[in-house]
Amino acid sequence: MTTIPDESQVLEALREVIDPELGCNLVDLGLIYDIKIDGGAVSVAMTVTTPGCPMHDSLRAGVRNALLNLEGVASAEVDLVFDPPWHPSMMTEVGRRMTGAY
Amino acid sequence: MEAILPLSATVSPVTTRPAAAAEPTVPSIWLPLSFIVTGLLALLTAVGWMIAQPDLLTTYHYNQNIIALTHLVVLGWICSVVIGATYQLVPVALETKLYSERLAKCQFVFHLVGFVGMVWMFKTWNMKQVGHFGSILGLGAGLFIYNLARTLLRVQKWNIVATALASSLAWFTLSILAGLSIAAGKCSYDSTEGAAVASGVRTLIAGLRSMGAFMSRFDAISAMHAHAHLGLIGLFTMLVVGVSYKLVPMFTLSEIQNRRRAGLSIALLNAGLLGAFLSILLRSPFKFVFGMVVCAALGMYGWEIAAVLKARKRAALDWGVRSFITALCLLAPLGLLGAVLAWPRLPLNVFTGQLENLYGFLGAFGFVTLAIIGMLHKIVPFLAWFKTYSPHVGRFRVPTLAALYSEHLQRIGYWTWLTGLAAAGAGILLQSDVVARLGVIALSFTLLMLAVNIAKILSHVLQPKLSPLPGRAKSS
Repeated sequence: MTTIPDESQVLEALREVIDPELGCNLVDLGLIYDIKIDGGAVSVAMTVTTPGCPMHDSLRAGVRNALLNLEGVASAEVDLVFDPPWHPSMMTEVGRRMTGAY
Repeated sequence: MEAILPLSATVSPVTTRPAAAAEPTVPSIWLPLSFIVTGLLALLTAVGWMIAQPDLLTTYHYNQNIIALTHLVVLGWICSVVIGATYQLVPVALETKLYSERLAKCQFVFHLVGFVGMVWMFKTWNMKQVGHFGSILGLGAGLFIYNLARTLLRVQKWNIVATALASSLAWFTLSILAGLSIAAGKCSYDSTEGAAVASGVRTLIAGLRSMGAFMSRFDAISAMHAHAHLGLIGLFTMLVVGVSYKLVPMFTLSEIQNRRRAGLSIALLNAGLLGAFLSILLRSPFKFVFGMVVCAALGMYGWEIAAVLKARKRAALDWGVRSFITALCLLAPLGLLGAVLAWPRLPLNVFTGQLENLYGFLGAFGFVTLAIIGMLHKIVPFLAWFKTYSPHVGRFRVPTLAALYSEHLQRIGYWTWLTGLAAAGAGILLQSDVVARLGVIALSFTLLMLAVNIAKILSHVLQPKLSPLPGRAKSS
């Protein structure tokens, strides 16, 4: 029987995707705006730290790869959004520690 | 484990808007890399030349070898890297795609042939051939300017970065025209007298003769200084100012603090440079006034960057950003030196000549080169990472950009560069070949560190270092 992942498992998987410039995962950077799980279909709304970030394609593809790599995920959709724009205050405590932010 | 969505609590999914322009903006890594490697080879050659002949720094700069060396540094090193980096950074800074990679590749060939030929011909002081090779370089520069101008036309929302870029393209055009005019002014065009030449060629020669006659109205050294300022301030400083308004906030997790101040710095830099160019060319005492306008522009810029850094959220600055910021700090002694040299009643003696050498040296190797070395530790790792690891994100554990090179070597290189600058600067002022040579040897040590780091970074392209993700993956 296939197990459908829950939100915490999806977040754990997305913690393996890092922003290579900041050296921190996307979840703790606060770049993951929304997760929707509908059976085996997962959709994620994410942003990047700055519009025009040259990494945005890599990160979006990385999020999709990480989702498809999860047991029980049959399809994954990743939307890149810029509204609201990202701000360092959106980082978690872990993210702040990892990036040396205060 | 409880889900931690830092924004899910504060952002309604309904309010999120899909990105309008999410197309890839990065050109092929080989395009910027070919310019960057060319630039590094030119810098190595220039530093080797200075070690072999330190008198190039300690004697007055109006001679064929120093002019050849200057063009090797400015066109071969600075221009090559700046053009390569521009092809990579401008699409990022302007949030759009480069207009044409093919034009950029064509430019590389023109640029390479043009600057190598120019340096060689300057060394043999064959000004007619300098003009020919300069025209080849100019053709390449024309392709660069056209390519960037078309890229600028794609910008949906005009901003200060776009204004700075447009300004630098205009100054680059003027700088090349000024350089070619100076070359035309030093040539004689009597070889085709009486010969039956095509009317187009005759017209061209007549035009060059007129240009030569026009340029003979200006003092040769003043024209050379005016041309140098167009390049170093108009192209390089303007680009550094504009691009850093995007990159410094990006790397330090900060924001522009006062857009008006940032815009004013660019407007003042444009106004000051125009006045400085004309007043230097005409040997007018107003060059001091316009020099002060340029200093005010750079002061505004420094004020804004200091405010950006003060508001940053990232406490520790990496060594790439530190090098860049140190380079910006060197604008202060450079501005002071420029003000002294622009003083209308400054006596024209040997020491003044050495001050001019120090001014040029600090500008090229202090401000511009240190800024470039700092940014190369951002650009080259990104290019290698993007080529090697980008397709594997989410499938494997990939390294960070900082893990691609040695920060230890970078730190050593930073300090040896500053030591070398101080020593070579002292050698220039004291007219001591020994001290100048020691300074340049210290600079070469930094280049060794840089070369090792670049080799380490590029080794990832040949041999990627991927590690598997923790065992949570599909069993299939």
